[in-house]
Amino acid sequence: MNLIAVSINHHTAPVELREALHLNREEIIDLIAELKKELFSEGLIISTCNRTEIYGIPKENKTTYADIEKFLIDKKPEFNINSERFQKFFSCSAVNHLFKVSSGIDSLLIGDNQILGQTKEAFQVSEDHDFAGFLMRRVFDAAIKAGKRAKTETQISDGAITVSYAAVQLIEKIFANLGKKSALVIGMGETGEIAAKHLRDKGIGKLTLANRTLAKATALAEAISANVIPFAEINDYLHDFDIVISATSAPDLIIKKDDVAAAIKKRNHSATVLMDIAVPRDIDPETRNLDGIFYHDIDSLQIIVDQNLKRRKDEIPKVQNIIMEELVAFFSWYNSLEITPAIKSLRDFFEDIRAEEVDKQINRFSQEDQEKLEILTKRIINKILHHPTVELKKTAESGVNNNETAIKIGILKELFGIENKTEDKR
Amino acid sequence: MISTLHICNLILPLFYWATVGIYLYDFFNDSSFSSNSKRVLLFHTLLFHVFYLILRTIAFDHPPITNVFEIFTVLAFAVSFAYFILELETDIRGTGLFIIIISVIFQTISSIFIQDETVVKEVLRSNLLGSHVLSALLGYSGITISAVYGFLYLILYKEIKLNKFGLIFERMPSLEKLEQLSFYAAIIGFILLSVAIIIGIIWLPRAFKDYSYLDPKLIGTALVWLLYGIGLASKILGGWHGKRVVIFSIIGFLLAIASTLVTNFLAKSFHSFY
Repeated sequence: MNLIAVSINHHTAPVELREALHLNREEIIDLIAELKKELFSEGLIISTCNRTEIYGIPKENKTTYADIEKFLIDKKPEFNINSERFQKFFSCSAVNHLFKVSSGIDSLLIGDNQILGQTKEAFQVSEDHDFAGFLMRRVFDAAIKAGKRAKTETQISDGAITVSYAAVQLIEKIFANLGKKSALVIGMGETGEIAAKHLRDKGIGKLTLANRTLAKATALAEAISANVIPFAEINDYLHDFDIVISATSAPDLIIKKDDVAAAIKKRNHSATVLMDIAVPRDIDPETRNLDGIFYHDIDSLQIIVDQNLKRRKDEIPKVQNIIMEELVAFFSWYNSLEITPAIKSLRDFFEDIRAEEVDKQINRFSQEDQEKLEILTKRIINKILHHPTVELKKTAESGVNNNETAIKIGILKELFGIENKTEDKR
Repeated sequence: MISTLHICNLILPLFYWATVGIYLYDFFNDSSFSSNSKRVLLFHTLLFHVFYLILRTIAFDHPPITNVFEIFTVLAFAVSFAYFILELETDIRGTGLFIIIISVIFQTISSIFIQDETVVKEVLRSNLLGSHVLSALLGYSGITISAVYGFLYLILYKEIKLNKFGLIFERMPSLEKLEQLSFYAAIIGFILLSVAIIIGIIWLPRAFKDYSYLDPKLIGTALVWLLYGIGLASKILGGWHGKRVVIFSIIGFLLAIASTLVTNFLAKSFHSFY
């Protein structure tokens, strides 16, 4: 199989390079057009924040990895990217790599939830631009299957592995139904924004945002259907919230123990979660001693993240087994592509002989016996070819030894002169 | 039939041990196989227990409520059965180990010490007594389960507060859910205890001439009932929640245990039959 792939990713390149080579949808579409014109009959391009990868079936056998890399390198000549930054894969290793990518075990964050969707999107772009041919479709179907199996049959994607998500996971261990809870997210930096979006995704009942720059909070609030309160008044509203996540860059505490004590009293000691994911901290850590208050800072959330990462790493061997199963299944199918025409040629060859000989002798038989003759001769041919057909299929489907399959096909063709016969016919 | 019953009596605790074993395995390993098979095994254990109770009732011509070890086997069944219904209803599967272990203890003690009781006191043959004991046992099962969930709540509460994210954190449902389960179990327990008390009040004058409402067992039960009543009212009407409520439930359970021990084994009472 002549699938060829190059990848620049977090294993081989720093974030600046990965960012530089990241391709948006339009850039991918342009690159597809160029690759179709010059190198590949079919292929696929995956580009995420941690990887940019090109897969393809070359039009000509002389296509090299450098030819493909050149397309990416030339896009960002100012970065002077050399070939060592690229991982290179061919045939089975290319398929294997794609399966590892789709199942999340090659991701920077092992078990990454987004990569399967990103792979599907990439395939859709190829499909939309006639870049996904018969073979690539099958490769990517198998990759998606491997990714789905990894997700459902193992715990590779279980548990939070980012601090923002760990905060939400911890909140879910305290409250049964987030739909009935209200949350306040303070600080609209990247962490605060992600936390707010996670809460919205989890169906939080009422979401409120606060930020020193009101406009920033208002903009996000509009995007995720949240309310906004003025930053200066957060302590006055504290008792209204079951969950408070703070992620500002304030140098001092913005929520003090007395504020929390007053709020919890107003709340009749109903459970309140305070997630302080800011550095330096925003909420007085002494609040953890108040009854009904669950205070957690970035260190405690990091414990959850570390535990989940370790658990995901422990799942990698299980995912590798799934990948191996899917590789075997895929190459069984692929090898059978090669064997099917060979079997057909063999059967045609015998059928031609049978038909020719029957034709010569057919007039010697009565009308009734002519039908019997047809049936009888066909049965003989079938019996003769049954064992070789089964053996060839078995060898091909085992996917273990391609050479063995090729040798067997070669011997058969040579012994019976099948190709010669075809050529003679032409 | 008696020999079949004896064999069942030996096998039944093994069923419970096997069930608790698979719940234990699943608690530590969380595999999909053990997660599904533990429920199936619990169902078969309960089925076998029903068969055993029916067989016992037929063999000795009275329901198995006439001595403390018969009571234990019914209690073992009631606790596990109540849990089974809860697991089916809520699909919360991580807490079974802590509840079924109670059935294991009761059933093991029962199987070791239970006797073939063919002659029972006339007073124990009343149908009203059967209803009284059955509702009381189910009521106590309810408050036992409530206390177990309360206890799990306190462990998880402490683990979260102390940033210990171990197996309990992994396997338990949320604190709020544990509180809900404890509350619902307590409500069911309280209602059934109320039924038991009402039936007892009706039955008492008919069965005994020398009864007294100041009997230690009655006072103990009344205290437990009152405590749960106050706890439930505080939650429903007073808006109590969280730790305060589950501590109330645990205190109620401990009081119930203390009351049972004192009145059954220490105090002299017309209400002691065994």
